[in-house]
Amino acid sequence: MKRWSRRLRQLAGGVLDLPQDVVLEVPRITMIGHLQMYIENHRGVLHFSEKELRLLLTNGQMIVSGEQLVIRAILPEEVLLEGRIGGVKFLETGPQGS
Amino acid sequence: MRNGLREWVDGHITITVRGKRFERLLNMAVRDGIRIWNIRRVGLEVSRCDILIRDYFRLRPLLKETGCRSHVERRDGLPFWLLRLRRRSGLAIGAALFFIGLYMLSTFVWSVEVSGTKMIDPQRVIRAAAQIGIKEGAWKVKLKEPLLLQKELMSLLPETTWIGIEMSGTKVKLQVVEKDEPTLPLPTGPRHLVAKKRAVIHKILPEVGRSQVTNNQVVEKGQVLISGIIGNETRQQAVSARGKVQGEVWYVSNTSVPLNQTHYQLTGEKLQQQYLLVGPYAVQLWPFKKQFFALAESSEERFVPSYAGFTSPLGWKTVTQLETEPISKQMTVEEATELAKKFAREDILQKAGADAFIQDEKVLHVTSENGKVYVSIHFSVIEDIAVEQPLVGLPQAPANNGNP
Repeated sequence: MKRWSRRLRQLAGGVLDLPQDVVLEVPRITMIGHLQMYIENHRGVLHFSEKELRLLLTNGQMIVSGEQLVIRAILPEEVLLEGRIGGVKFLETGPQGS
Repeated sequence: MRNGLREWVDGHITITVRGKRFERLLNMAVRDGIRIWNIRRVGLEVSRCDILIRDYFRLRPLLKETGCRSHVERRDGLPFWLLRLRRRSGLAIGAALFFIGLYMLSTFVWSVEVSGTKMIDPQRVIRAAAQIGIKEGAWKVKLKEPLLLQKELMSLLPETTWIGIEMSGTKVKLQVVEKDEPTLPLPTGPRHLVAKKRAVIHKILPEVGRSQVTNNQVVEKGQVLISGIIGNETRQQAVSARGKVQGEVWYVSNTSVPLNQTHYQLTGEKLQQQYLLVGPYAVQLWPFKKQFFALAESSEERFVPSYAGFTSPLGWKTVTQLETEPISKQMTVEEATELAKKFAREDILQKAGADAFIQDEKVLHVTSENGKVYVSIHFSVIEDIAVEQPLVGLPQAPANNGNP
């Protein structure tokens, strides 16, 4: 059942030319240089320190590494992160995971 | 996403949270709709974040649940300001009193200014204004409507056409427009009209008084023309004689005119010099030459920007020099005679007075000598010869006798 809905969504995204983040449950990330990062569609904070922010996604995790990281604001689905961002990494757990 | 003003009005605090499960606390708080911002790690198990005061009380059960402990670091925002202000009530009362005092003082008149007076003494206007209540120290609330005040002030000062009352803050401006009253002729005492110089009477028109001479009569200087004493021997009155007496006066004028006349004429050549004005000094900028022409007429034009009474110290000056050259002309004796006649006429009319005219003129003598023409001309001029002579030691006429 879940596989069917996912395939339907992918199809709709291709046919109707909709943005991927609307159709698929993936985060949308806006970065301003390496200073600010705005992440939408996250599912909660797993770990936060000065050097790393680990966010839970619908399927997988997202790791933002950097220095002097500060969460300027946080809402149920949005995070505004500031600091010197070094890199972004995705950990996929696969469709069956979690 | 964040609203700085609301955060400030509601009041917010900075807390440090000590505990292992800080991320869990964060997720739960966010899910409950608690606003948290500026989150940062301080130590291994210590984090610092900002939170609204009312959200802090909602956070407490979550802290207990996750086994974290919080400590308030800093308080900021309007509620804390008010608390601090209550502690220093003297300051608050002082500030309030200051504003009340400022407002109270602004309801008084502090100065009265008069403008537009020409003949009336400004002090009189100020005194009249003080009579109807407009004075220094008056309470503005007690003053009447400006239109009423204006009427009252104008009735106190009848020689004004209009008085504008303008209240700008604590200053009252009174703008006075004075009436332009016609100047009354000065009352004159009893007098005769006598002859100014030796003449033949041309025309006599007495208005007040008795005519003593007739047309074509020769009068000497000082002879009474219109007498100020009217009536017969038994009943006499002295009046201020008035009237017009025209007499024919003879003049002989001797004029000389040189035959060689020099005058200056523009050649059409011109040059401009530019100057920069710095305060009282003019600095010549272009061109640097001092003298262009041997003979020149110069005119200057200044541009100094000024606004509202302030004049810029910098300005610009342009001097235009127009070259002139002398032209000499040799006149014939006839031309010189005509010129001499013209000069003589002007001279005579200036001597004879305002409404004089030349009745007859005759060239008596013309000689040409040493490059000059000497002309002697006889003029017969009709002019006003009457002059007032006051009567002294006589009973004064009643005032209405001035206008019979």
